[in-house]
Formats: sequence, structure tokens, C-alpha cells
Amino acid sequence: MNVRPLRFSDLLFCSAVVLCGCASRPETVEQQTAAFEEDFNDPFEDTNRKIFEFNQVVDRNVLVPVAKAYRTALPDPVRDSLRDFLNNLREPLVFANDTLQGQFERAGTTLGRFVLNSTIGIGGLVDVAGRWGVPYHEEDLGLTLGAWGIPEGPYIVVPILGPSNPRDLGGQVAEGFGDPWNILVSGNPWTLYWIPYVRGGVNGVDQRSRYIETLADIERTSLDYYATIRSLYRQRRAALIRHEQEESLPPKAGFSRREDRWTPGMTANSPARPGVVSEATNVTEVVK
Amino acid sequence: MLRRSTLIAALMVLVGALAPAIPAAAAADPAAIISNLGSRALEVLGKDATQSQRVARFRELLRQDFDVPGIGRFVLGRYWNQATEEQRAEFVKLFEDYIAMAYATRLAEYTGETFKVTGSRPDGDGAIVSSQILRPGGAPPVKVDWRLTGRNGAYKISDVSVDGISMAVTQRSEFASVIQHNGGQVQGLITMLRQRIAGGASR
Repeated sequence: MNVRPLRFSDLLFCSAVVLCGCASRPETVEQQTAAFEEDFNDPFEDTNRKIFEFNQVVDRNVLVPVAKAYRTALPDPVRDSLRDFLNNLREPLVFANDTLQGQFERAGTTLGRFVLNSTIGIGGLVDVAGRWGVPYHEEDLGLTLGAWGIPEGPYIVVPILGPSNPRDLGGQVAEGFGDPWNILVSGNPWTLYWIPYVRGGVNGVDQRSRYIETLADIERTSLDYYATIRSLYRQRRAALIRHEQEESLPPKAGFSRREDRWTPGMTANSPARPGVVSEATNVTEVVK
Repeated sequence: MLRRSTLIAALMVLVGALAPAIPAAAAADPAAIISNLGSRALEVLGKDATQSQRVARFRELLRQDFDVPGIGRFVLGRYWNQATEEQRAEFVKLFEDYIAMAYATRLAEYTGETFKVTGSRPDGDGAIVSSQILRPGGAPPVKVDWRLTGRNGAYKISDVSVDGISMAVTQRSEFASVIQHNGGQVQGLITMLRQRIAGGASR
């Protein structure tokens, strides 16, 4: 096969495929594989890599040292309690998103958790519901839009915030305005204006403190850390949209012995194509 | 008629001859393979082990339970077709070294935590085994799915997905990016892997 450097038209094609929700999926196996290979969904890669590098500098020099100090200064139970408290603050938005997705059972779970943890759990400091076997689940507007079939758009790296895409970033911004606690403090005396910023900061530090070793390991062992993070982010968001964690669905990507029949399901928004894997199975080797 | 019966007889002889050759493990169900792998991994990758011990032990597990050549082929994607025979052979060898090095450390973090198999279901000619790593402190469990492919009566792991993230797909995406940034040449990836493994060994 002839190799040529990636051209702008390829990227245009890739993003077009994503933007169309992969409606015009290539037909042949070879085209499928080729589409996957080049579908990093990253038309702004050069810029993204620069912002990524900048974020890395901030991460190494500010975020990680602060996260380490935070981890050393506060004992496990205190940090866990803080995490539970922050999660509880998010529950109204999780509830809204569950509902917007038509996931009424999950919405009920979220409502129950919020009521229980806010009362018996002392304002959310203790995750009583979690201990009773009803764990917290993530949900945000980006995921809701994804569940509605809105494409992710091109991959972007946002300064400080990190990996994202227009859909997820838009969701984040909108949630900032829609967050009931933000609305509450903005309607209050000016002395409370700092609360959302502290909340955001503590949340970021706490999140980062839980992945210090994991991310350091991945960075150390990766050949292309940027590409690895890009892939991890996109796969993770796609999995969350499918509610992978809760429903134990099969990994949509995977492959059979005929590697060319890979199921291209890892692109968010592309519907699962059940049967592709089983189609590819070879019936001639039945050993029972 | 005679022909058909001879054929059947020949088949039966063949099947009879093959049957004992199938190892006992082949009969084991995929769930047992994973739970066995989980407990062995926890044993050998413990925090007391040195990095080089971990890598060596993990490589053993890799060879026993994983379809390394198959995964190697998958992660190279369409570049597999473009690679020469020597490049393919070298790549698979380097890939095994690389995986042993990279994942031995990543997995070591999970030792001391509880691993349990939660289910298994057939998937084509293989199976998908679901498992969980229970984390301390009420953190949500990490969900790990194992894709196994049946071959010659034995199951081999062909992909592992962690919270819905496929390791094979991640690796494939990264390698494709490396190759593209090296002018579309597989050799670029091979050189980088070689350097990385040499660097990792001296650590």
C-alpha cells in the first residue's frame, strides 16, 4: 500500500464523517480500517499539541505539587468526605441530565441519593447512599447532548481544562450558568462570589490527586502521550454516553481473529453495530 | 456410500487422535482463566517485587494467557500489510517487551485491591469476561472486561477494556499517530520502541 503524509483533505474528510454522525460509513473492510486509522478526529492537532504542552507545564509545576500537598496534608477520610460533599453538590445537575436523557430510573436514584446524603449524610459529607449500595454516577450536559445524538465535533485541548470537544465544552459552560448553587450565590451578597471558584479549584485538585501515579505512569511509558490521552478521552466519553459502567455492555471495540473485521464502534455517536464480531467468527474451528 | 463412510471413519480417527492433544485447560471456562490470571497477577506483581522482577513475571503471564501476536497485528492496523516480514517479526517481539514493561508498572498499582470476576458470556467464537477491581475508601469499582478468543480449543486474551476504554484501541491509536509522525513508516515506530525498551531496561 502506498503511504503518503496525511493531507488536509483527509482531516476534512474525517471531521466530516464525525460531523455527519458517520452516516456515510465507508463500505469495504479496507476503507473501514483506513477511516479508523486516520480518524483521530483532530483537525487542529498542531495547535492542540501546543496547548497540551502548555498544560503539561502547568500540570507539572502547579497542579501536581498542589495535589501532592493536598494528599499529604489531609488524611484519607477527610478527602473522601470532601469528594462525597462535592459529588453531592453535583447531584442536582446529574438529576437534570438523567431526566433530560429520559433515564428516569437513574434520575430516581440520583434524587434518592441527594435527599438521603443531604440529610442523614450531614449535607453530603457522608455518602450514606453509596454505603447502602447506591453509588454516585457521573453525568453532565456533554454526555446528555451525546446521548441525544449530537456529534462531539473536533477534538480540542482547552488551556488548563485539558481534553475536550465543542460539545463537552459547551455543556460545561452551560452547566456553569445552570448550576443551582452558582445561581444561589450570584443572587446573594457580594461576599459569596468566590464560592464557585473555590469549589472548582478544590474539585480540580481533588480529581488530580487521585490520578497522580496513574497519569505519571502512562506518560512515562507512552511513545506519544498526547495521542494516548486523546484516545483515552474520546473512548471514555463514548463509554459514559453508552452507560458502560453501569450496564456492563461489551466493549464495542475489539476484534476477532480476522483483525480486519474490527468493529469501528469507538467513535462517539456511531451506533453499535451488533453482529459484526459474530459475522467474522470462523465456524470451521469448532472444538467442544 | 463407501466413500462417505470411509470419510467419516477417517474423521473419527482424526478427532480421536486430536482429542487427547487438547490440554485440560481448554475445557476450563473463560471466567476461570481470568480469575486465575487475576490471582496470579496479584501474587507476582506485589509491591515488594522490583521493577525488573515484575516485568519478567508479567511477561510470563502475557505469554501464557494473551494472544500477543494477534494483538500486535491488530494494533499495527493497516500498517501491518505494509510492513515487511522482518519488520512484522521484530515488531511483535518489541511489542511484547513494551507491553510487559508498560503494564507491569500500571498493574502493580492495583495490587492489594480485591479482584473479582462478575460474569462471562459467549462472544462469537470467544467470550467476554467481566470483572471488577474493588477500590478501598468507597471509590467506585474499576470495571474490567476481558475479550477472549478461542483458538485450537484454548482461550487467549485479545483485548482488555477498563471502564469502557479498550487497551488495544488505545495502543492502536497511539502507534498510528507515531507512524504518521514518522512519515508513515513502520520503521519509525520500531526504532522508537527499541529505544524505549533499551531505556526502560536500564531504569
